Amino acid sequence: MIENSDLIALFTTLKMASITTIILMIIGTPLAWYLAKMKSRFKIIIEAVVALPIVLPPTVLGFYLLIAFSPEHLPGKLWQDITGQQLAFSFSAIVIGSVFYSLPFVVQPIQKAFEQLGDDILEAGAVLGANAFDRFFTIVLPITKASFITAASLGFAHTVGEFGIVLMIGGNISGETKVLSIALFEHVEAFNYAKAHMLAISLLIGSFIILALVYLLNYSPQKIAKMSVKSSNKNRDINKA
Amino acid sequence: MNELSFTFNTLFDGFELSVNQTIPTQGITGVFGHSGSGKSTLLRCIAGLEKRTLGEVTLNGTNLYNSRSRYFIKPEKRQIGLVFQDARLFPHLNVIENIEYGRNRSKHKTLFTDDVIKLTQLEALKYKSVTLLSGGEKQRVAIARALLAEPKLLLLDEPLSALDNTSKQFMLTMLLNIQQQLKLPMLYVSHSMAELQQISDNLLVMNKGQVTHFGNVHNIIHTLNNCQSITQQTSLSLPIHENLPKYGLSSLTLAPNTYIYFPLLTSSTKSETAYNNIRCFIAASDISISRHEALESSIVNHFQAEITHIQPQDNTVLITLNCHEHTFYSSISLWSAERLSLHVNDLIYIQFKASAVHSLADIGML
Repeated sequence: MIENSDLIALFTTLKMASITTIILMIIGTPLAWYLAKMKSRFKIIIEAVVALPIVLPPTVLGFYLLIAFSPEHLPGKLWQDITGQQLAFSFSAIVIGSVFYSLPFVVQPIQKAFEQLGDDILEAGAVLGANAFDRFFTIVLPITKASFITAASLGFAHTVGEFGIVLMIGGNISGETKVLSIALFEHVEAFNYAKAHMLAISLLIGSFIILALVYLLNYSPQKIAKMSVKSSNKNRDINKA
Repeated sequence: MNELSFTFNTLFDGFELSVNQTIPTQGITGVFGHSGSGKSTLLRCIAGLEKRTLGEVTLNGTNLYNSRSRYFIKPEKRQIGLVFQDARLFPHLNVIENIEYGRNRSKHKTLFTDDVIKLTQLEALKYKSVTLLSGGEKQRVAIARALLAEPKLLLLDEPLSALDNTSKQFMLTMLLNIQQQLKLPMLYVSHSMAELQQISDNLLVMNKGQVTHFGNVHNIIHTLNNCQSITQQTSLSLPIHENLPKYGLSSLTLAPNTYIYFPLLTSSTKSETAYNNIRCFIAASDISISRHEALESSIVNHFQAEITHIQPQDNTVLITLNCHEHTFYSSISLWSAERLSLHVNDLIYIQFKASAVHSLADIGML
């Protein structure tokens, strides 16, 4: 049913989305912390830049990245000088593009969680002898872990679903830059609707499962415990009555 | 060099903190002031939580902060504990995990978790989620957590302000027990003079970001009587003489063979008696003055005293008296003062009911 080229596209997609998500978590966490704690007016500008991919057509971002990645411009030239390979139309290019494209989906949930957490509880950690690193891993991370799961899932799912930006800066090279959404587009262009349907339904189900898992994990055990306490109190009241 | 020295001259939002004080790091030092006087800000500066300050902090001879030389020891390195007004427990950890958070980061680990749990009476709550605790229980966990971090100085920022009077009695008795057993110096902030009268050895008074008074708690309370900034009162610390359960009374020794009677000590305040004198206060308006001793009166407390000072205040008069080497304050109407024709050095009789003598059981009355 599924062609070999589609399986390669699936593998490329998962590889791209996984690497992108890891990079996003590494750079998104300190960026979210900085934005949550920053009191400067420049915060608004940085927040707007981070949020741009939400409203910008992917082709616009793809177009400017394509220009930047070309060997005639500094980023592309630097890349070529260091790696000896062209950046545009490479796997690395679609990963970098995906990082920009999915950045707000990772930064915003984490930033919101950091803002809600506030400084009070961190001050409590500090006067108990915990340094900044210790406080992050023993207080911040456990309390905000749901937002990290949300951020990683949204970042991953959004990267899997991208199309325009990958097409602009990656082209359609099988095993390198050809991802599922592009393979789907190809099948539709060739009027091969059965294969297109197979890929479309796979993406649909995959995305649904990821989102369902996010909501399930955000539905924390504490909330479930509170619900069970409420229901047991209700039962007790009924029994008393 | 068992002392804490601090100097701050910093403009915060709405007020200027301008203090320069040295206090001994032994016993409990109360910090009194009305809302906005800078008490909590002072504690935050000492703990190192306010970074944009101008000044200096030295604890037991070790410099912790000096803005001129840009020397700043981070809060986690200062070994100064702070119990916040709102407990600030970690919601993802249960009671025992919260408590051990402090111990796991302590350098010394000389205190045992079980001992502190016993001191703070948290045995039954060890594995409970902190989100399900009452206000008083949360503060007990916060205190246990701070104790196990083994600080050199413990700061308490109005830890009882959200509790009811019964919980306050229990917590104050517990804090006194902790102080007695661990010999941990504490700085206890409150806007309740009743709490501070019960718990403090020394009292520091703040007003508009400045220290206005510092000294022995009874002396400072008596000094404040003349400023009319608190309920005028006689503050005493006296050894217990006997309990008279049949009459619902206890007595304190004012002088040899001279006793003050007051309501019988309840079980919740008894633990204090094992270590200390009983702290009590009598509102100046509850002490009346007579030229003759009222021997045939229902009022059980009547003593001869000498007038040392008379201070007219609007339509009342605050009279300072010496009674068996203790200072008493009586507030009577100007009309009564004129009628009795009172003068300094006059020997008169003071009298007050047993129920006018307030101890820990009446916390929250002032």
